[in-house]
Parts: sequence; structure tokens; C-alpha cells
Amino acid sequence: MRPQANASAAAPVTPGSALLLHPLADRAGWRAVGEITATTCPAWERTLGQLPLREETVCHLELSAVTFVDVAGASALAMAAQDLSTGRRIVVERPPTTLPRLLDMFWPDLSVIEVVAR
Amino acid sequence: MTATKNATATSESFVHPALFYRGEEEYLDGTVPFIREGLKFGHPVAVAVPGANLALLREGLGMDAASVRFLDMTDAGRNPGRIIPRVLRAFADAHPQTHVRIIGEPIWPGRSSVEYPACVQHEALINPAFQGRDVTILCPYDAGRLAEEVLTDAYATHPVIVSGGGLRPSPSYAPGQVIAEYNRPFAAAPVAAELQHFGIDELPYVRHSAIARAAELGLSGVRLDDLALAVAELTTNSVVHGGGSGSLRIWAEESQLVCEVRDGGQLNDPLAGRRPASRDQRGGRGLLLVHTVVDLVRIHTGPEGTAIRFYLGR
Repeated sequence: MRPQANASAAAPVTPGSALLLHPLADRAGWRAVGEITATTCPAWERTLGQLPLREETVCHLELSAVTFVDVAGASALAMAAQDLSTGRRIVVERPPTTLPRLLDMFWPDLSVIEVVAR
Repeated sequence: MTATKNATATSESFVHPALFYRGEEEYLDGTVPFIREGLKFGHPVAVAVPGANLALLREGLGMDAASVRFLDMTDAGRNPGRIIPRVLRAFADAHPQTHVRIIGEPIWPGRSSVEYPACVQHEALINPAFQGRDVTILCPYDAGRLAEEVLTDAYATHPVIVSGGGLRPSPSYAPGQVIAEYNRPFAAAPVAAELQHFGIDELPYVRHSAIARAAELGLSGVRLDDLALAVAELTTNSVVHGGGSGSLRIWAEESQLVCEVRDGGQLNDPLAGRRPASRDQRGGRGLLLVHTVVDLVRIHTGPEGTAIRFYLGR
């Protein structure tokens, strides 16, 4: 199953803070643009909430245009990863450095998340 | 060497004795038998003490050192606020089926007057944090080099004292009183440190501004990430739990960068940020994260509001 065209989501935007999520054109998953923080986390969580409903083994999250991820954003990702059925995994591509740092700090053994560094 | 065998054996499951030592021989007398006895019983043993004492203990234990988990407290416990979740609970929680022995030395000569209140509060908070747990945490104090006030506080933060090869109750144990007593207002921030007010709409701006100022003051790389994470959590906490708004300022003090966040809320849980988070726990990591990534956290809280200062080496 590929991401649906209407899967883009945007959090209520505050000045200087926004998160846009678009389905990837060439593989299963989404590209995110902006910041993933407590303010924008609802949009991030809504998107991640679609993961259990999907069928592909690997979901890609392309985060090269994300400038910051706080612990709320990392937590939402870790929760989503723990809800995946056996054999499925998430590949997080080029996230800001805070994300792998937070994952190592609080979820060091969460092997279903694979991080491809910037 | 005068062995203090069974020095920490009591009927309580959690035991938190202070050990006052003068010199290397007394240090080894008070710690090595405690470690060896634990190993003999098959108890996991961890030692988190300053580097010099770490080396002393490794040598004193000889072959037994291989069975002990060693941590340099000047690194792992640089910020006293992370010792309970990241050092003590981390080790105890990894061995839930058996009694665990830990030597923790969070206060050493050289701790600054800014650090000290957080150190004493940490020692006091060990008691509620481990109530009912099957753990012994032995805390050595360098009685020959620490100030008398420090030793007096140790009597107030430890229910029992190692004495004459056994344990005796502390005559002045009062951890709650210590926590309250060291909940002290901070020295004034420099006038030149610009005050930035924020509400929910300004959260990204105040974080970006703090990062820019910290970079001007010499912070870079991972430490700048640490600042961004800590500022994000504290300012968000102010908006969510502290009345919806707050203020932030940032400045340099000698080799450290200082960041202060104030809001109108009161922090009523003294163990906030000192409980490890389980992997399936969605929230509750904000203050724990701050304690983990910075070098020192000081908190002053009351009905008039809460001020949190954190320190990062530049």
C-alpha cells in the first residue's frame, strides 16, 4: 500500500513553527518539513498513527528538511515503532542530530527503528 | 585492614548508610569488605565514585574488581539530578530479582557552592526514591577534607551511619527538612542578561534565540544540541504546567553557560525528572531529559513560581 495523497498534515501553525508531511513519491513513507516539537506533534502523531494500518514491511521517514526534534517527537516515533507488527520496521532518513541522540538515550534497544544519518 | 563485615546488614530491604572516612585506609576498610560480601552473596555490585577513589578501589579489590561495575561519578554524576535515574535506578532496575549493592559518592571536595545544594537534595531524595526497594546504597564522605556543614547534612540525609564495624541510626535524620532547606532563591542573574518572555506562540522563537545566544557565548556541537533540547523542554513545561507562559535568560559564568527559565507554576513533586521512563511510557521525560544532558540543574520552587537554572560547560 502506498501513502494516500491526502495524508499530508499540518499542525496549527505558530510563528516560526510548522510541520508539513507529504507522502514520498518513490517509496512507502513520508517526507517531513519543519520542526517536530510539542507544538507540531499532533500532526506527526496522526501520520505515525497510520503505520499500523499499512502493509509494507519498511516505512521511510525522510527528515532531511526537519530542523529540530524534541523528546515529544521522539517519543511519538518510539511509540509508533513499538506498535508495529513483527517483521516491520521504520527507516528514518537524515534526521536532525537530536533524534538519534534521544532514541539512544531513552529507547536504546528499539531495533525496529533504523536511522540513516545526515 | 579492619573489616566492616555485615556493616550494612539490617532487616530493612532498603539501606542507605553514610560512611565517614579519613584517608585511603579508612576508605578501603569501609568499602572493600562491603563489596566482597556482596559478591560472596551473589549480589550485583556497582561503584560510582570520583576517579581517584575508583582507582584506589580497583587496586584494593584486585581480581574481584572484574565482577564490579565501575562508574566515574565526576562524569556520570556531574549533575546530581541524574544520579538517581541514570546511575542508581539504572543499575538496580537491571537486577530486579536480587539484592543490589551500590557505593555512591556524589559529594567530594571540589564540588562548588552552586552544585552543593543540588547534591544534598539528591542525597535526601534517594530515600523516597528507593523506599521498599531491595537495595543498599553506601555513601562515603571524606570527613578529613569536607566541611563540617557537609558532614552535618549527611547525618540528615542518611537514616543510618557506618560506625565501629556496624550501623547505628543517625541522630538527626530529616530528609524532607533538607530538601526544603536547600530550596533556596538563586543569586541575581547579571543585569545584562536579556529577559525574554514567552507563551505558546513564542516557543520556537525563544528556542532559536537561546541557541543563537549560546553560540555567541561559545557553545557548539553536541552541547548546543543539549541546550536546544533543555530549552525546548523547560519552556514547553512552563506553557503546559507553569501557567501558560514564562521567561528565559541566558548568560556566561566563567567556563559555563547558564540558562534560567521562570514561570508561575509550583513544582510539588521533588522526584520529578528523577524517575526512569519505561520504554512504553509516552510522556514524562522532559525534566529527566534536562537532568540527563546538562552539567547541573538547580531548582527553586514555591507558591510564587518556579525558577530552574541549568549549567553547561562551554
